[in-house]
Amino acid sequence: MTTDSTTTTATTRRGALALGLGAAVATATGGFRRARAQNPSEVKVAILSPMSGPWARQGILARMGGELAVDEVNSAGGIRSLGGAKVKLVIYDAGENAERAKNAAQRMIAQEPDLVGGAGAWLSSFTLAVSEVTERAELPWLTLSYADSITERGFRYIFQSSPTSAAQARATLPTILQLAERATGRRPRRLAMIADNTAAPQGIVKPIREGEAQKYGLTIVVDETFTPPLSDATPLIQRVRSARPDFLLLLSTAVPDDKLLVEKLNEYGLGQGRLPTIGNGGHWGAPELAQVTNPQILEGMMFTLSNWPGKGLEDLNRRFVERTGEPWMGHDSLIPYANIKILCEAMERAASADRRKVAEAIRSLDIQNEGPALLFPSRRLKYDERGRLMHAEMVTCQWRGGVPQVVFPESIATMQALWPRS
Amino acid sequence: MEWEILLENVLNALAAGITIGCIYGLMCVGLSLIFGIMRVVNFAQGDLLMLGAYAAFYLVAAWGVLAFLGPEVAPFAGAILAGPIVFAVGWLLHRWIVARVSGLRTVASLDEGHFGQLIVTLGIALILQNGGLILFGSMPRAVRTPLSSSAWMVETGIGDATIFLNKARVISGLAAILVVVALYWLLERTRLGKALRAAADNPTAATYMGIDVDRAHRIAFALGSGITAVAGGLVASYLSFTPFMGLDFVVIMYAGVVLGGMGSLLGAFWGGLTIGFVQQISALVLPPQLQNAAIFVVFLLIVVLRPQGLFGRSAERA
Repeated sequence: MTTDSTTTTATTRRGALALGLGAAVATATGGFRRARAQNPSEVKVAILSPMSGPWARQGILARMGGELAVDEVNSAGGIRSLGGAKVKLVIYDAGENAERAKNAAQRMIAQEPDLVGGAGAWLSSFTLAVSEVTERAELPWLTLSYADSITERGFRYIFQSSPTSAAQARATLPTILQLAERATGRRPRRLAMIADNTAAPQGIVKPIREGEAQKYGLTIVVDETFTPPLSDATPLIQRVRSARPDFLLLLSTAVPDDKLLVEKLNEYGLGQGRLPTIGNGGHWGAPELAQVTNPQILEGMMFTLSNWPGKGLEDLNRRFVERTGEPWMGHDSLIPYANIKILCEAMERAASADRRKVAEAIRSLDIQNEGPALLFPSRRLKYDERGRLMHAEMVTCQWRGGVPQVVFPESIATMQALWPRS
Repeated sequence: MEWEILLENVLNALAAGITIGCIYGLMCVGLSLIFGIMRVVNFAQGDLLMLGAYAAFYLVAAWGVLAFLGPEVAPFAGAILAGPIVFAVGWLLHRWIVARVSGLRTVASLDEGHFGQLIVTLGIALILQNGGLILFGSMPRAVRTPLSSSAWMVETGIGDATIFLNKARVISGLAAILVVVALYWLLERTRLGKALRAAADNPTAATYMGIDVDRAHRIAFALGSGITAVAGGLVASYLSFTPFMGLDFVVIMYAGVVLGGMGSLLGAFWGGLTIGFVQQISALVLPPQLQNAAIFVVFLLIVVLRPQGLFGRSAERA
């Protein structure tokens, strides 16, 4: 009994000693780990966009925007609340279809266990696939993709930094009519619509067809849908010529179709602003559009989109041009730039490189007239509970002198819209 | 007024169909030449078209070698010169790769080398697409000319009805016809043409007659590549393109070749022309998004009613 008691006591003492040592080691190691987690020397963020395949150009533009953002954050001292941790950008190629994009996301999660967050995917279908993976990994993911469905699945780690398709559809007609009335003093009545059959343009024309046009007193005189890529735009533009509309909504999704459509409009005497024409999406302001067609025939062409560097972002545009050699910074670079800046801001506020805390910090962001909020037309940065950018305003640009200029909203407009009076 | 609009719509669709159809016809002829002479189904044909477009782009715009000809002439001169450049590429491809799965060495094999050819040409296609992405970049390119956005306007005399003849396409269509005529002359009137036809008809017998069948096949492959490249150069004068442009045209090429009759050169040209024509005319009565569906309806009809194609093998082979 004594022996037992002694043994027990001895065991207890040894156990206590072992426990104490273990606890000390665990505390030291854990403490060290926590200290490392709180103040890492480097924090990783990702850009996952198509770098190969038909959308490679858009992915490369996204990378340029992301790299500029990371360099600026690092040269300003890194993430200060994390002891000046430097931001490291890792790039993943989403490839040419949603399946490859999803595989790339899985590879990214497996290869970068210390990733804090990321941005990209570009095409809505890619973003839908990629965000399935990032959501499971609880990785905050910011995107420029428009599709409403991206933030309709109850996900908590996805953030949409653009107005959704439905929001853009609602905003398109009033914006255009406002521009027309302001420039000419009269309201257009006859609307022509040409759209390709992909999700984004159809998301815009559907509500117009189903009541928005009527609500604004417009008669739809041409309503055509085509399958991209176009081999020729003759049948489409011929119908526009025959119907004589007051303005044309030209909702294509790729530069090759844009070229064919604007050249055909010019050929039929409707180009260069003679028939007010409004496109949608960043490709309408892409430098390559001016390189594949005569920039003169783009004169007067308008396009709406979720963001564009207007008044107040001239310096950012200049830095981007100097760094990349691109003629200007467009939507496809600006939004990834903004998204990476938002991630860095969230890390700064969370004072942590923990994904969940960073996501929580993004959710609780409410910034006005400072920091990354300045990169948006509303100068306000706040996401709703679904992860959608609140107060998101659509931007309208117009080709003037071979360069896209912001003509709406007035707060960031660099020029007044031209609308033919005839 | 309604009649005027209808007339204008029909005439413009006809004009667009014929001009685009001629260019489709030329690209189909390139594919048909390779199939007719070598019996090789070349899945890389669309990517050889892409090489032609880039060759024209570099000659005219990027390096500016032909810039002295001005923006009205240089794009078409570039397209014609793309032919010899891609001819050389085709020659090398055949010499080092395609010859190993085609020609006399596969005559005795069970599948006549078709499985190997399928995989090899598909592999070449993937290499050309992704190699093109590395070499040429992802930015869309075009051989810019003011002719692509302007038209010769022909008044019909009936009200305001006007025919718009896109200048770039009309010139491209005429150039395509000239190339096909030249090729036809080469095959029918020259000793080389006779050797190519003999190698197509019976490679073994041609060998006994002293014809170097491997060389004939090499010339046929290179010639087919070069002709499709000329079509690519012509397309580049009115369309913008990336290294993946071949994917958009390869289906049209195959449909055109099957429509015209496998192995028939003139048939392939008419097949391509028919596709251009159906594509445009169908848009008069169907929604434009069904343009390509209309092509395949006509394609299926011809396959069902005349399986040998419009011109069939019996009419002419190579």
